[in-house]
Order: sequence, then C-alpha cells, then structure tokens
Amino acid sequence: MKPVAHPLVESKRSLTVLAIIGFVVLPIMYSMDVLTIGQINMIGRYMTFAILALGLDLLWGYVGILSLCQCTFFCLGAYAMGMHLAHHGGPEGIIDANGWKLPACLFVVYPYDIGESSGDALVPFFWKPFWNLPLTLLLGLLIPAICSFVLGYFVFRSRVRGVYFAILSQAIAVAGWLVFCRNDVKLCGTNGLTRFDIIAPAESLTTFHPEDAKDQWIASHDGDMAQDLNADGKLDQLDYSMAEVGFSLAEPTVQLSLYFITLLCLFGSFFLCKWIVNSRLGRVLIAIRDDEPTLNFFGYKPHQYKIFAFCIAAALAGLAGMLYIPQMKIITPSNMEAVRSVLVVVWVAVGGRGTLRGAILGALTVNLTYNYLTSEHDYGFFSWSPDYWPIFLGVAFVLVVLLLPNGLIEVVDRFKEKFGKNSNPNSIEKA
Amino acid sequence: MNQFYSVLSFLLFIFVLSKGAFGQASEQKIDDTELNSLLMTLAVDDDDLKAETITSLAKSGDPNLEKFFELYRQGSVYNWPDQDGGVRIVVNDETEMDDDFNEFAPLFEPISGKPFLVDGKQAKPDLLDLEDISPGRSLRNLVNSAKFLLRIFSKDEEVRSSGIKKCGDPPYLSDAVPFLEEMINDESINPKIRWLSRESISLIQFSGQLEGKDSFNDRVSALKTLGELKSLRAKARIKDFQIKLDQALEDQKISASAKKKLDAEISKVDRSLESHKDTVEMSGNLFRGISYGSVLILMALGLAITFGLMGVINMAHGELMMIGAYVTYEVQNIYGHSPDNPVDSYYFAALPIAFIVSALVGILIEGLVVRHLYNRPLESLLATWGVGLLLIQLIRIRYGDNIGVNSPTWARGGYEVAQDIILPYARLYLIGLCMAAVGFVYFILRRTRQGMLIRATMQNRDMARSLGVRTRNVDRFTFALGSGIAGVAGYGWTIIGGVTPDMGQTNFIVDSFLVVVTGGVGELAGVLFSGLGIGVLSKVIEPIEFGDFVVGPVWGKVTLLVLIVAFIQFRPSGLFAPKGRLADKK
Repeated sequence: MKPVAHPLVESKRSLTVLAIIGFVVLPIMYSMDVLTIGQINMIGRYMTFAILALGLDLLWGYVGILSLCQCTFFCLGAYAMGMHLAHHGGPEGIIDANGWKLPACLFVVYPYDIGESSGDALVPFFWKPFWNLPLTLLLGLLIPAICSFVLGYFVFRSRVRGVYFAILSQAIAVAGWLVFCRNDVKLCGTNGLTRFDIIAPAESLTTFHPEDAKDQWIASHDGDMAQDLNADGKLDQLDYSMAEVGFSLAEPTVQLSLYFITLLCLFGSFFLCKWIVNSRLGRVLIAIRDDEPTLNFFGYKPHQYKIFAFCIAAALAGLAGMLYIPQMKIITPSNMEAVRSVLVVVWVAVGGRGTLRGAILGALTVNLTYNYLTSEHDYGFFSWSPDYWPIFLGVAFVLVVLLLPNGLIEVVDRFKEKFGKNSNPNSIEKA
Repeated sequence: MNQFYSVLSFLLFIFVLSKGAFGQASEQKIDDTELNSLLMTLAVDDDDLKAETITSLAKSGDPNLEKFFELYRQGSVYNWPDQDGGVRIVVNDETEMDDDFNEFAPLFEPISGKPFLVDGKQAKPDLLDLEDISPGRSLRNLVNSAKFLLRIFSKDEEVRSSGIKKCGDPPYLSDAVPFLEEMINDESINPKIRWLSRESISLIQFSGQLEGKDSFNDRVSALKTLGELKSLRAKARIKDFQIKLDQALEDQKISASAKKKLDAEISKVDRSLESHKDTVEMSGNLFRGISYGSVLILMALGLAITFGLMGVINMAHGELMMIGAYVTYEVQNIYGHSPDNPVDSYYFAALPIAFIVSALVGILIEGLVVRHLYNRPLESLLATWGVGLLLIQLIRIRYGDNIGVNSPTWARGGYEVAQDIILPYARLYLIGLCMAAVGFVYFILRRTRQGMLIRATMQNRDMARSLGVRTRNVDRFTFALGSGIAGVAGYGWTIIGGVTPDMGQTNFIVDSFLVVVTGGVGELAGVLFSGLGIGVLSKVIEPIEFGDFVVGPVWGKVTLLVLIVAFIQFRPSGLFAPKGRLADKK
C-alpha cells in the first residue's frame, strides 16, 4: 500500500507529555507508594521495547522494509549484556584453570566432565571480551549492526524486497533461535543466561581480565581489614569474590536508575531517528518506500540506504536488548522466537507506522494491555482468563490493520484536531 | 461456483464410499481346542513326550502361550483330575486361605487366563487336590527357550522376524538353531524370514556359541556367509572377533600365518559390508530427502496458490494445516480408532473432510479479512498473522496442548525394495498424497473451466472482469482451494509427526514460504523443483560429519538458509521466474 504522506516534523507536544509522565509523574507516584518498584521496573522494560519498536518503525514505516527478525538483534544485544552480567554475578561461580570465573549459569549447563576437576571447565573464548563494561556496550551495538550489515549487503544488493525480505528475515529469525537453543554454542541453550546480581562493578570498567581485577582490588584495599570477610588476616581472592563491588540489581535505587537510563536512551533513540528522518538522508529513505524504481533511475543506489537503515534498526534493537536484560535478569532463546519479532511489528502497526511517536505509543499500549489482560479478572458478568489474550491480540490486530491502517496515533491526532486549540498544524496536514 | 460444488460433492461421495467399503474388519478367532488337547500331555510322566509337547506348543506361535510358559516355568501349572481321573490342566497363581488355615487355590484357564469355571463359578479346590506338573530340571531350559521359540513361530510376521533377529544377538540363543535350520529349508515360509534365519544362524556361529563349530576357521567361514548375505548386523561384531583373534595370537593358540590368512578374509568381508552399508545409507538419505521434499511440496502447494497466484501472504497458512490435522484427529475419534481397536478406514475418510473444513475456514478468512487487503501484501501478512494467532489459541483452549493422532496400522513398517533399504509405508503414502495433490491442483488449474477463470483473473483482473468473469467468486474459490490443500498437508503430516496447536508456526510456515520463494512465484513447477531440491539437499547435508562434529538438523537448516540466500543472489526471482510482461507485475 501507499501510506498516507506523513508529516516529517513530529508533534512536539506528545513528546513533552511522554517526558513529563516518564520523568516526573511516574517517579512521584513511586515516591508516594502508588507504584511499586516492580511496576517501575516493568515500565522500564516496556520502554526498551519502545526503543526496539522505534528501530523497526524507522525501517518499516520510513523505508518500507518489513523486518521479521528484529528480536534476533534484540537478543544479540541482550546476550552480550547477559554475558557481561553473568561474568560479574553470583558468588558461587568457579575459578577455571585460566583464572576466569566460570559464571554460575554456564557451570550449571556445562559442568566439568567425569574425571576432571572443577577447574577444568573453561570459560569459552567469546565470553571473555564481555568482562569489560564499555567493551560490552560497544559490542552490544556493533554485533547486531554487523550481522545486519552482512545480511543486508547480500539481501538488498540482490534486490530482495517487500514480502520476500519479510519471509527471508523470518527464516533468519527461526535459524537464529534454533542456533541459540543448541547447547553446543556455549550460550546455555534453552536455559538461557541468568544469575545476574551486580551491574557496573568497578572491575568491569577498568580491567579486561579477572586476574587483573583481583590484583587491583587487593592492592587498593591493602590494609583495609574491614574487607577481610573470611577473617583470615589477609586480603585474598576469597574476600574479593565475596565483597560487594558494584550496584546490586535487587536494590530499588539501582532499578530506578536503570529506569531513568532507559528513558534517556528512549529519548536519545527518538531524537536520533527524528534527525535521520528529517535529514536529506531521510528523504531518500522515504523515497525508497514510495517509489524505489524511480529512485534507482535517478542514479541513487537504494541498497546502500537500505543497509544503513537496517543497521541503525539493528543497533537500536541491540541497545534495547542491553537495557532490557538488567531489568529482566534473565535472557533465554524464547525471546528470539519468530513470534516475538512479529509482535514488534504488531506494536508498530497498532501504534501507527510511519510516525515515530506511533511506535512508542504502540509498544507501550500493547505491552501495558498485555500486562493487564494476562492476569485473571472478574467483571461480574464475565471472567477474563489469560488464555483469551492471544485471541484478543489477534482480533485487535486484524481490526487495526483493516480499520486503522495508520494506527492509534491517527485516533490521537483526530482527537487533537477536534478538541485541541492550537495543535501543531503539521500533524494535521496529512488528514 | 458450480465447479466448486461439484468438487465438494465428489469429495463427499468418496468419503461416503470409503466409510462403506472399509466398514468393520472382523477379527479372526483362534481355535484353542487343539492347543488344549496338546496341553493334556503335559500331565504325562514322560520327559521325552513332554519335550515334544512343549516344542509343538511353541511351534504354534500363539502369543497367549508366552504367559503360560512363564507360569509353567514357575510351577504354577497344575493338573486337577476330575472324578473319573481325566486330566484338567489349570493355572493357579496365588492361593487363598480361609479362617481355618485351609489353603484354597482359585483356578484359571491355562491359555486364555480367564477364571476356570465349574457350574458357573470359579473353581477353588483344596491345594492338596492339585497335582504338580511343573517341568523337571531337564525340561527347564527347554521351557525357557520355548518362550523364544514362540516368537519365532509367531503368526505375526513382525513379531516373528524380530524374534528371529534376537536369536542372533547377544546372548546368542544356540538352542534355536535346529528350528531356524528347519525354517530355512521350508519353502513355504516368507523368503525374508528364511534370510533372517540364515543370518541369525551365521551370527550365532560367528560368535562361537554354536557347539561343535566354534573354531576360528568355522567362525570365519560363518563370517563369509554373512558377507554373502550382506548382513549389516555382522559389521558390529567383527571388531570383537578381531580382539579375540589378537588375544588368541598372544596366547599362542593360533599361529601368526593362520591369523594373517583369517585377517585377510575378515577384511575382505568387512570391505564388502562397508560398501553395502554406504549404498544403504546413501539410498536411505535420498529417500528421506525425497519424502521430506514431498512434505515440503505438500505444505507449499497451497501457498503457491494463495501466494503465488493471488499474491496474498497468508501467514495463517500454517494454521490451516493445523486445522487439517485436528480434523483428522476428530475423524479418528468419530471412527473410534485407537491402537487397541484399529479402524484404519478413518484415515481415508479424513482426507476429504480435512480438505473441506480447511477450505471452509479459508473462505471465512478470505471473506472477513483477506479480501480487504488485496494488493497490500504486507498488510495481509500482518492481518493473517493475527488470524493465525486467534486460531491457535482457539484450538489450544478447545484441545489443550497435545493430542495423539494414531496412525493407521498399515502405516507401520515399510516396504523393503532392496536388502536393508526399507521405505516406510507412511512416507510412501505421503509421496503418493503429494503427487495426487499436485495432480489435483494441476487438473483444476489447467483442465477445468474454473481453473481457466482463475488463470485469466490472475493474469489480468480488469480484462477478465470486463469479459464477465465474476472475479470475486474466483478469488474466493482460489483461496478456498489453497486452504483446502493446506488442510490436506496437515492431514498428511499426522502420519509422521506430532500435532500441536502451534505446529503451523513452528514447523511449516517458514519452510513452505522458503520453498515458494526459492521456486519462483506463480509456477507450480517451481514449487515441485524447489521442494524436492530443498528436501534432498537438507537430508544430504544433515549426516555430513567433520571429525566429531555432525551437522545435524539445526546446523543443516542454517546451512540451507545460507545456501538459499546465496542462491537468491543469482536468481532473485527464484528458479522459475515469470518471464515477459508478467515479470513486471510484482
């Protein structure tokens, strides 16, 4: 379909509303004990989904590429962060022969073989870069971006488009899921990564190797016998492994900060996407969506732009994944099932594709509804069971596609058009 | 639409016919009187006669006797003479005691296991009235092997061949050898059974368990026979034998030159077996590939119609297959088919019903959702995904997570085309079903008026409409056809795979879309070639080994995906790209 021409300038007001709610209303409600920290945490998670949806909206709403493997990229970021957290989490890990602490989740799935001692199970080599937090953050963005670049290079160059790309990307999502479910890729198979306790310990900021971290810690605490936790009169590795270094993920303040970080990242991604969309580059992207052959005729190389958009979307998905993990505290391959990626499309479609606000609105609305409707409710005349949720989602989604091709944001805009006094003229232009 | 109804009524007719023709199978009753008269002789105090009786009992191959032999060995079989001293063979497992500590023995029929009735009540004589006829020491071994012999002489070919096979596996049953030899010489017996007996005898001899023929030379000559028989089972035993030979050389039981000679012969047999094994594996992979390919074609065929011809991305396609599978389940329940009470005809009856129900659901989807979304492929992809979600959950609420469709009994086992190359009947049926479905679709599209209208509408909708074609009806019919074929695919799947509400999403949808995309949109031939190609290729890739690493299904799938992406580089529109003016359309 040819979507209605969308305003390039986003309404500023909805953003202000989001900022006020996110930064002021919710924290105040939390401080007044209206919301629990669990609920704040949950909203933080849904905001990471909003970032994911933003990436897809850039790709689908503006370039017209429907990717059904966004959750694969999301999980690439999530696993990167998961490996990092697993390195530093859980005191019950085991030190392997190379001085690396074998994370608890890894040890549970891959214990040492018969005849070996506990130190013989080694930390896989590709886990090691994720010891360091800055490197992890970098890799969490780069890995999805590189994967999407390779995929995009081969696929877009041969002019696979539209539904063909959608199908191909779904096949890739399935393949990725199958691979991550395997035990022999050393990512804990279907168990997934878990036992995350601590985020951003000092050691993860400055060192690349646990031996260095240990030495550094002992050196910096030398003489401070308050840290001698096992009371053997000297500071050693045992004290180090028992010492609380870093922020505990169970702390409400840490969770609240994660929520704020997520919110900031959401705004950051939003402005990034907005900047891209409003630049000359953005116009080319929209031109690809609307009439690729003509663009080709003008001498542009659409596949380069497509690859670019695909990489940005993947990197945003990776960012979302990295933010999601410390708030969820577990990552399993079920997060990258093909259905999950289609769900992202559902959020964007429900919210309104082709408007960045729509993506955020859709992700938050659908997920909050999901949260509400997947618990039992008794309405007197009718008792709602969580079993009905997929039916509700299916029907709602079909109705949105059929009746509201521009998503909920259209309803919001119409509403504003009707009742708003000085609404942004740009947002109404399209009607 | 007339054509559509005529197809429907034709399918219904087939259904009614199949229900009539395959009605109730009557079960054959086994005549027990002969066995009973044989049992009488067990009471005779003559070991030779008893041994003869046990042997002939075993040869009857009656599966009920297995229990009897077990009881007989335990000493639970008694003679309870009647007033005239006549022999009554009875079974008593446990005794009962009354308040005065008199032991009574409730009696059972020896073969059927039912209570032994006297005047309509279960007989409970005093334990002392019963005469113990349990086998003596000399007979005990015979009774033990009689249990094996029962299987060897079983009327059921499958039980029989597995029994014979077991004789040749450790612990080797050398007692069976005379009977096996007897079977080899009996021309009336199935050649496969006779072949198995020869194999088992040779295996027993090769293992050195056959008395009188346990020298190394005898054993190697048995191995040679095995080599001539191309026995794959022998291959696993060669290594043990070689170790024993080495041991014997160390203990200086055989000379080095003799061992060398034996070794040469062994390796010769080993090589011939190896090559036979390779042939078997290769043809097995090829067949598996073809059968997997036919499953893929079956799955993708409906999609080739809805996606290829109509350009509608129907993500609920997998769910239509799922509906076909659940219809098969329902039909099975209506017919009352279960492993204990097989009613095989249900499977034929389910075929048209699965087609019709899925087609009806397809019409519903088309009318409610898809028809608003023609020419908007991405939207139709999303909307039909929503429909799929809905269908999955409805089925899950109704049926739960897992149901069992029991394959019809004829689907068990396989047809042996060449030695050790067994083609399972279930797979053969699927290949046949696939060919029939392709033929059916081809017939409708190319040989009927309705098919002509479909092709006309898909080529140039406006022109067709201006010539008076009711394109609305054509769309509906085409979608129903594609959905019906999807239902048939789901129906066929039940014979080889499990049935779950989300089977469409997990197993089918991605694969079948890949087949269609690789094959090229809009051509049935493309689906055939890419389906077969992908099927065979994936089954060829899967067993490849690199040292310790076996590719296996998951990495096989990933490899295949990479290959498909690479393939699309060269042929962006698939194997059979539309040419000429049609190419510009999409």
